[in-house]
Amino acid sequence: MSRAVPAALVLAILALLVLGPMLALFHLGDIPGYAASDLRFWENAYLRRVLFFSLWQASLSTLLAVVPAILVARAFAMQGQLPLRNLLLRLFALPLVVPAVVAVMSIVSVYGSSGWLPLGRSLYGINGILIAHVFFNLPLAVRLLLPQWQAIPQHHWQLSEQLGMNAWQRWRFIEWPMLREALPGVLLLVFMLCLTSFAVVLTLGGGPRSTTLEVAIYQSLRFDFDPARAALLALLQLGLCMLVALLTLKMQRLPEVEITLSTPARPSTSLHKWVDIGLIVAATLFVGMPLLSMLIDALGGPVVRVISDANLWRALASTLLIGLTAALLSVCAGWWLLRYSASLAYAGRRARARLIDLAGSIVYVVPPLVIGTGMFVLLSPRVDVFDWVYPIVIAINALMGLPFVIRCLGPAMRQNHARYHRLCLTLGLTGWNRFRFVEWPLLRRPLGLAIGLVAVLAMGDLGVIALFGSTQTSTLALMIYQQLGAYLVPQATVTALLLLLLCLGVFALLERLIGGKTVVAG
Amino acid sequence: MLRVEALEFAYTDAAEQRMCFDLTVSAGEVLSLIGPSGSGKSTLLNLIAGFLPASRGRILLDQHPIQDLAVAQRPVSIVFQQHNLFPHLDLYTNVALGVNPSLRLLPAQVEAVREALARLGLTELQRRKPGELSGGQRQRVALARALVRRRKILLLDEAFAALGPAMRSELIELVKVLVREQDMAALLVSHQPNDALIASARTAFICAGRVAALAPTAQLLHQQEPPELREYLGSQ
Amino acid sequence: MLSVLPRIGSGLIALLVVTSLQAATPTLVVYTYDSFTSDWGPGPRVKAAFEANCNCKLDLVGLSDGVAMLNRLKLEGAGSRADILLGIDTNITADARASGLFEAHGLTLQDSALPQSWQDDLFLPYDFGYFAFVYNRERVTNPPTSLRQLVEDDNGPTLLIQDPRTSTPGLGLLLWMKKVFGEDSDQAWERLSKRIVTVSKGWSEAYGLFLKGEADMVLSYTTSPAYHIIAEQDSRYAAAAFTEGHYQQIEVAGLVRGSQQKQLAREFLEFMISAEFQQIIPTTNWMYPVIAGKSLLPAEFDQLIDPAPALLLDERQVAAERKRWVDEWLEVMSR
Repeated sequence: MSRAVPAALVLAILALLVLGPMLALFHLGDIPGYAASDLRFWENAYLRRVLFFSLWQASLSTLLAVVPAILVARAFAMQGQLPLRNLLLRLFALPLVVPAVVAVMSIVSVYGSSGWLPLGRSLYGINGILIAHVFFNLPLAVRLLLPQWQAIPQHHWQLSEQLGMNAWQRWRFIEWPMLREALPGVLLLVFMLCLTSFAVVLTLGGGPRSTTLEVAIYQSLRFDFDPARAALLALLQLGLCMLVALLTLKMQRLPEVEITLSTPARPSTSLHKWVDIGLIVAATLFVGMPLLSMLIDALGGPVVRVISDANLWRALASTLLIGLTAALLSVCAGWWLLRYSASLAYAGRRARARLIDLAGSIVYVVPPLVIGTGMFVLLSPRVDVFDWVYPIVIAINALMGLPFVIRCLGPAMRQNHARYHRLCLTLGLTGWNRFRFVEWPLLRRPLGLAIGLVAVLAMGDLGVIALFGSTQTSTLALMIYQQLGAYLVPQATVTALLLLLLCLGVFALLERLIGGKTVVAG
Repeated sequence: MLRVEALEFAYTDAAEQRMCFDLTVSAGEVLSLIGPSGSGKSTLLNLIAGFLPASRGRILLDQHPIQDLAVAQRPVSIVFQQHNLFPHLDLYTNVALGVNPSLRLLPAQVEAVREALARLGLTELQRRKPGELSGGQRQRVALARALVRRRKILLLDEAFAALGPAMRSELIELVKVLVREQDMAALLVSHQPNDALIASARTAFICAGRVAALAPTAQLLHQQEPPELREYLGSQ
Repeated sequence: MLSVLPRIGSGLIALLVVTSLQAATPTLVVYTYDSFTSDWGPGPRVKAAFEANCNCKLDLVGLSDGVAMLNRLKLEGAGSRADILLGIDTNITADARASGLFEAHGLTLQDSALPQSWQDDLFLPYDFGYFAFVYNRERVTNPPTSLRQLVEDDNGPTLLIQDPRTSTPGLGLLLWMKKVFGEDSDQAWERLSKRIVTVSKGWSEAYGLFLKGEADMVLSYTTSPAYHIIAEQDSRYAAAAFTEGHYQQIEVAGLVRGSQQKQLAREFLEFMISAEFQQIIPTTNWMYPVIAGKSLLPAEFDQLIDPAPALLLDERQVAAERKRWVDEWLEVMSR
């Protein structure tokens, strides 16, 4: 099947980009200056503790982020006519962009001892970690789950009304089955994001009790100069995620019947309406308060001075370049993978389809530090790495964006395939024509979301660029971190605000251009 | 008997865009509705079912007005062209939902469900899921559910449009029998004037949001007036 | 057709001239950390000052921090294009030495401002500083006067510190405690931990949280208040002077063995310990210059505490014991 070829290519590149560097790190142990590692980590009590804590905080965070997200997404789905709906949904893409250190400070602004909702010292512990993770991930989960409601046929809603179903029965028979397709994927993605969270966990967690595997990897690679151990720990993290992924796969049900993309009228009583509005307001406040505090801090800072800095605009250009290119690459790679996965699912080979989705997603948990260093090891004997900074950073960011593409686009693509594949075959619609007439019009919306998400993710990235960047290739995120490291906190907050506004603009533009007029129909 | 009196629906505020329907359907009768796309056939069904709010007019069942009742209270069952069934539930459960959405059925109700399934020849398939069935079988299940609800009004919104002619006529015949047995007033919307011939003694021609013509089927299908009807029939 | 040839010819000649001119000016590549090369760091002024006299091009490459720099050099190995590594501190000089990537600089530090005499032939210092706990005068009216007092006063100020696994000040505090408390440092940490609000990933997070008022004191440098005084005209911040002394951080540069521009590199290192370079340091890097001279320090630096005596552990001891000490610290802090 010709779809398998590009998919296989993408998978091969993924394997190369991920496993290659890790293998390279294993062999570094022979170089003088690098410690020989004690690879029997399971005997190490410290590592056991780290492992346990990583899993525990990630699981708890995931639950706390996703369960409310379901309720909020439902609220948005039901209240299609809410004013400012589109704006709010676009706002929900922002937390992903905020660099960790800025997010920490904004959260402290809100919940710290001199904040608007002071928690005092109890902020620094699991509370802080949960707040931060929910801040980052609830809005993302909402955006990823909301389209599922759209997939529910109008007639099902009408029938539910006629049959006299109450809200619980509607949930049980109509909403939950549709949600079951997307939910495991979202759970996994959020889990991965929380597992690999580093600065947030350490700083808001209060101290070494709250250590994740990422810290151990970071320490191994940078301070202990023990690359083999770092690679091993990265493999461990990968293995952990695969286990969780397999669990979520058990949960997943691919839809049994084709769907329609019409926009249903949904029943809701006035009580429901107020509950939904309450949920939306609560979510917006929770997400908005740290963002608002950032805005306030930034507006009080040296705005003019920061804006008139030529380097800012250079950094802005770099940021845009990296973000957009990475998004494009990521979406292309994801598209090929998903097309193949969709055709497998259609042919009934669901397990294999899910495995492909998994392969594309799981790479997220290999820390960019590991990939970056390993890539560097592979490349530097052969090329001048400085010339390759942009391609490497873009490539790694594209890799990191892949799971988001798979989450956004996967369900829609499967459904599109299920619905139209036979038609396309009989009409002889292939390749470009198929894309133009069948796939593009119907997949525009999730595609727009996917590109937008990856673009802003890449624009806000600090991990990868910090590895390879030198001052010539500074991005806005890096600039923020540099300013923070030089006592220039007010400037950093202004730069952070600019980054946020840039991301909001790019996200809105991409969603609008690619996704079409409405954000998610209501 | 179902009577629709000056039932108005405005989908914009402009006076020209208002739909207004008047018709009567006797108990035990299947009235066919034909007409060009966008003429308002489905809108009329939606109004009767309560999915759309009427701005004016009345819907009467046996002299009782029902236009102010909530959807669940109206004595209506509807069968759509597709998406009638919940894909993850088996046939038995799909039909049982028609009795009580909590799925807590009294023994008598359980029996009724079994009977309905048997009546439509679905007993052997009752544990299967809709995905495993053909289109025709799925519509039978939808009919079984309508049957078990024992409502006085049956609406069929292009319910058989996706089926082949043989299956279609078979199911239409079945509908006629069921409607007579249960004394229901039924409205059948179809794109095929042929279906009207099989299904109904009388047929209504809906055009531009109004009942433009109402006559015995054979007569209507050869009418020259109004000109829209002639045009519509000519294009079929 | 023929008339085009002279134009092409002169174009080619011009190109040759330009490229050969460029070939004539050698480039010196210096690996350093981000805040050095940034606009508000020493980088731009250093570059301007050096290029004015050297007839060369100075390429300052910013790589996140000292540790990353050394790692990068190790990974690049002999093929690295770096001529000088500037910005590692004495905590990792032992590792740097063991890598065999550096060559003796052959220079002597004249008029040293360092409290100890500098004996290292492989690395040359360019600035230094002392760790200290910084506080807001309006919030803490009675700061502790010794590390021991800070540890033992159970009602003392709340603290923000950094993680030794991920940050050099964090490691600095660990070594400081080791130096002062020796074998009793575990108990000292246990007592101190009760007042630690959080342990952050790096200096930026901790200092940012401190400025937001999340704790009474933050582990930073004795020179931190200077920034607020000079750049913000804000005199509320001060460092607590401890009687045992303050742990020192000395930042050094090294000549890379594989450099193609050794002559130029040595020129740079000489420039580095000259007054011209050193006077840039205090208000851009916020550290002390390594050569003595009152004129090098702005007047506001007089308001800073006297950190003497300077505490420093031997680099070999640090290299050998660091892992074990960090593990012990983890053990205590995780209870």
